[in-house]
Amino acid sequence: MSTNDDKAKADALTDTGKQPEQDKPEKGNGASGSILFFFLVGLIASLLVGWVVFPELLYSKKKQPIDFNHALHVDMVDEGCESCHFFREDGSFSGVPELAQCIECHEEAQTDHPEEIKFVTQYVEKYREVPWLVYSRQPNCVFFSHAAHVRLAEMDCVTCHGPIGESTHSRIYEENRITGLSRDIWGRNIAGIKRNSWDRMKMDDCAECHAEAATKTASEGEAPIEGFFNNIIRIAFPGSLSGRKSSVQTQNEACFVCHK
Amino acid sequence: MKMDRRSFLSFLIGGAAGTTLSPLPWKLTDDLAIWSQNWPWTPVPAGGEVTFVETTCMLCPGGCGVTVRKVGDRAVKIEGTPGHPVNDGGICILGLSGLQLLYGPTRVPAPLRRAGGRGENHWEKISWDDALALVVEKLAALRENRLSHTLACISGTDGGTVGRLMERFLTAYGSPNFIRTPSMRDAYEMTLHLMQGVQASAGFDVENADFILSFGSGILEGWGSPVRMFRAHSAWKEKGVKVVQIEPRLSNTAAKSDKWLPVNPGTEAVLALGLAHVILKESLHRKEFVDFYASGLDRWKNEVISKWTPEQVEAVTGIDKSTTVALARSFARADHPLALCGRGKGSTPGSIGEFMAVHALNALVGNINRKGGVWAVPGPDYIRWPEVEMDATAAAGMQQPRIDGAGTEKYIFARHLLHRVPEMVTAADPSLVQALFILEANPYYTLSDSALLKKAWDKIPFIVSFSSFMDETAQNADLILPNHMYLERYEDVSYAEGFNKPYIGLAKPVIHPQFSTMHAGDVILRLAKALGDPVQKAFPWEDYEGCLDDTFGDALETLRETGYRVEADFAPGSGYPVFETASGRFEFIPEEIRDAGMQAMVQPQGEEPAFPLILIPFDSQRLANGYIGDPPFVIKTVPDTVLKGDALFVEVHPETAKAIGLSEGRAALLATPKGQARVRVHLFEGIMPGLVGIPTGLGHQAYDGYLAGKGVNANALMGPVEDGASGLNAAWGIRAKLSRV
Amino acid sequence: MKHEQAKKYGMVIDLDKCTGCGACMVACMAENNVPFKEDETNKLDSITWMRVYQLTNGKPFPDTDICYLPRPCMHCEGDHGHSPCVSVCPATATDYSMDTGIVSQIYTRCFGCRYCMAACPYHARYFNWWDPVWPNGMEKYLNPNVSPRMRGVVEKCSFCYHRYQLAKDRAFMEGRRELEEEEYQTACTQACPAGAIVFGDLNNKTHRVHQIVQPDPAHAGRPKNPKAFRLLERLGTNPKVYYLSSREWVRRSGDHYLPHEGPGGGH
Repeated sequence: MSTNDDKAKADALTDTGKQPEQDKPEKGNGASGSILFFFLVGLIASLLVGWVVFPELLYSKKKQPIDFNHALHVDMVDEGCESCHFFREDGSFSGVPELAQCIECHEEAQTDHPEEIKFVTQYVEKYREVPWLVYSRQPNCVFFSHAAHVRLAEMDCVTCHGPIGESTHSRIYEENRITGLSRDIWGRNIAGIKRNSWDRMKMDDCAECHAEAATKTASEGEAPIEGFFNNIIRIAFPGSLSGRKSSVQTQNEACFVCHK
Repeated sequence: MKMDRRSFLSFLIGGAAGTTLSPLPWKLTDDLAIWSQNWPWTPVPAGGEVTFVETTCMLCPGGCGVTVRKVGDRAVKIEGTPGHPVNDGGICILGLSGLQLLYGPTRVPAPLRRAGGRGENHWEKISWDDALALVVEKLAALRENRLSHTLACISGTDGGTVGRLMERFLTAYGSPNFIRTPSMRDAYEMTLHLMQGVQASAGFDVENADFILSFGSGILEGWGSPVRMFRAHSAWKEKGVKVVQIEPRLSNTAAKSDKWLPVNPGTEAVLALGLAHVILKESLHRKEFVDFYASGLDRWKNEVISKWTPEQVEAVTGIDKSTTVALARSFARADHPLALCGRGKGSTPGSIGEFMAVHALNALVGNINRKGGVWAVPGPDYIRWPEVEMDATAAAGMQQPRIDGAGTEKYIFARHLLHRVPEMVTAADPSLVQALFILEANPYYTLSDSALLKKAWDKIPFIVSFSSFMDETAQNADLILPNHMYLERYEDVSYAEGFNKPYIGLAKPVIHPQFSTMHAGDVILRLAKALGDPVQKAFPWEDYEGCLDDTFGDALETLRETGYRVEADFAPGSGYPVFETASGRFEFIPEEIRDAGMQAMVQPQGEEPAFPLILIPFDSQRLANGYIGDPPFVIKTVPDTVLKGDALFVEVHPETAKAIGLSEGRAALLATPKGQARVRVHLFEGIMPGLVGIPTGLGHQAYDGYLAGKGVNANALMGPVEDGASGLNAAWGIRAKLSRV
Repeated sequence: MKHEQAKKYGMVIDLDKCTGCGACMVACMAENNVPFKEDETNKLDSITWMRVYQLTNGKPFPDTDICYLPRPCMHCEGDHGHSPCVSVCPATATDYSMDTGIVSQIYTRCFGCRYCMAACPYHARYFNWWDPVWPNGMEKYLNPNVSPRMRGVVEKCSFCYHRYQLAKDRAFMEGRRELEEEEYQTACTQACPAGAIVFGDLNNKTHRVHQIVQPDPAHAGRPKNPKAFRLLERLGTNPKVYYLSSREWVRRSGDHYLPHEGPGGGH
């Protein structure tokens, strides 16, 4: 019994004694190396997919029916953006101009610019509305009052829409294949990082600006130190310092204000 | 390098880590959330500039002004026009739903020629030229054979230009058979003609009355111009005006009234005479009116005093004699008491005896052509076209008696007797009607005794409907020439039911026609043109708008701007001769009609043992029962005690139901001499025992899935009852049997 | 304070004037893109933000009497905004606005648990059991100011909040913040042919609603007008819809009163 056992032990020893010399280092390096390698392959591939391929697949690219030169037009009109994107008397905002408005100036082509000629022959002469693709179009559940922002709060267009008035060409319109909305809503940056106030148009962006405004209003007249602490309280316990909560659930204006 | 299990797992972990560090899962989650909150198949209404167009509603004879809110080129909402003389901003449930008719699936999209058998609803779209050519060919052939008088037209409109163009077309063509659909207007016009000697409509100064005595009028069910009546009702509540409602069922009007008198059905006129009895006996009548402006009082008084004592009245009507006496006193002592009649919405004319008895009450208290009373409103006077020059064929055709007998010796005062047409058509061979036009009417549904109507229908070889909608009549026609819908066309509305001032409303095109339809006025003009002289000669207009221009002249422009024209300071009696009878006075017993007019009661059809109960139809504001059927929104508001699934409920008093062994919701068979139907039973304490109440406006076979096949058509169970004195249809009910099934 | 005085929009419905005609129901449906089905006779799944109920005094013929009662959302204030539905919503889809006193309902936020329907004592909330279907072409009349709903969400009367927004927009254009009484009116108020509905700010002493009901701030807005009452007054929901009736049996049917109790005498 014992002899057999010993022999087996010896065999085992010999085996292990042999292998570390020849295979183990290589196999050991190879195994962890390949694990790391495949991990990296997976990591890099998925990062590539997530950061590069996915955005390419998610958005379809569409050209505007007419390449519109905002800069050129802004120079020629008197009232800036509101010359064409105007408020109606009832307080509603006209948004993208209708053909009838364009015709006021473009009944006939004024230049020999190919885009203008295309506009006149394909739309004006046929009295067909131009199917503009609207970068800032929100889903139907959103209510947005231009009057409240532009007239009451006296904000300018750039804050949300960016310096579109300086553009000389129409950008490619990227449409989200899932939601049907423009890429501008989520923002150009696929990670959702924004540098300017107009980079994104999601609900969080509305909320951010509103929160800032609310804090600013609330802390008016407070001493700097007092304001600092109060701001912390305001963020932690919304509504607690304003004297009157504006709604029960969100403490921050009922959802009807922006949703319909 | 080989990928084994461990490296594969490692690959996956790397992939997962990378994915987590990439925007993919977060962005995808967000996008999917947005997608799931905004399904692509949920419609997104387009925005645009909001504009308002003021026009006139044509869904009933109420003549209301409506304002249509448009977004871009879409019409999105109909609202009442503030400041309008008839409805001042209010609107009714049907008027609100007009856009469902405009954009709805019941529209006839183009001229249609029947492809299968009649009523099978197989159609072939044809061009307007072909459609008009078909009609012209048929009409030319009839005229050739000197059968021009066999063309008839059933029309829901007669005062405005379109109705008058149609009537003129028939005249020039050679047919006297222009027949207006029946309503209480027939009875009121006849009453004013007989008692006051005028051709006028009855207008009611409801806003200034201070005591309302309503003989079954559905003031809140759609009687008169509905919105105006609602507004008046609210004003009465504010001013404390008393309303007494006399009818056997607790209608909305009865429920809102200060006193509901459940009278035995069909005996309302007797109660009116009983009230007159008390007033005369106690000398409560206004002598200053009766003595100077009325004649025939003595004879009438004798009759009323001898026949209708409160005891006798109690025996007939079931109304306690002390109630009659008290009511008569409070009515007569009010400053501006007003008695109304015309049952429910007033869609059946009624007996002339009843109308005269009620009108006599108004005369007794001197409330004729006076503040808060009944005003004789002259018909529209703006259509002054030259007389039609008839050729020999036309003249011969016009010499033929009207098919409904109106104006003949027996029916000398009647102008339109549509209920007689089915009987006349079935009786003669070949049919007295060879071609039938139907304009703004749905007689296939609204006429009672449907079985006889179908027989008559089968005998008419050529039926043309002008309907904008696939209603029952259109569905059973041979050719449909769809009119623009009222929101798509110009048309003058010559009158507002029950309004006490001459009034013209103008319907305007709110949006461009949605389908390949044509204005009925233009169709008539084009038919005339194609038929050539002499018919063509009677129509010197290029098109319908030209005709409107010519008719109104400069007034059209102001009419276009304001949407209506009303003689605001109209007062009958100043400027208008009040009474044009032979005596120049108000006639209590008109010579022409004498004792026949005192035959106040009309018996329902059917015999007692076989039909122990009495079926009474009742109207509701939520059930349109005329030319237009309920749009989806309106049928949605019908309570489940009226309609459940496709089953119709009839109202029965619990005791009556118990005697038959019926409980709430039980199915039953309702039989009348004219037909039978399966119904369900709703027990209602508000209906007199022994009666069965059936809602009108249901049981459509045409229109869309929202309306067709729901409930029972009350008209199919009813039959006309001819009023001996006038020839008008005076049916208010029919004997019936309700049995368990 | 930057904010204008808080509003408390409410409604008074005169049941003496209401004729039960149903115009308010249809005006609401047309204004708010309320869907409809071929068969709407099952009233449990028939969406009617505004619904007219029939009350009866239960007496036998001929003393029986009927009264119609239009029922929009009551926009309960409860105790400091804790209306029954708002306090149970797990999705923050419904909220009580302290600025207007309006209970909002955000359809895209709602996930259809229907707790709010169970909590609402007035049956004012409705569930979309089906996707809305408009017959071909009929979607042309849809109002762009109200988003059409989808299957699986709850909807209810909003006091035509979009009309408030539009009125505010117009006011902003004219440099105003405050609205005049007639600038913001609900679709049912505007349509009612009997003029039975009055709408306005209960906090504003110049508004008709305030003058008619005379709400008692000491008793959670209970009306001082003896003709006025609220539905299920004693439940403490503090609704903002008031009713007027000259008939006692109608006022009594507003809550489950014992024979010796009565509306107005409860506290």
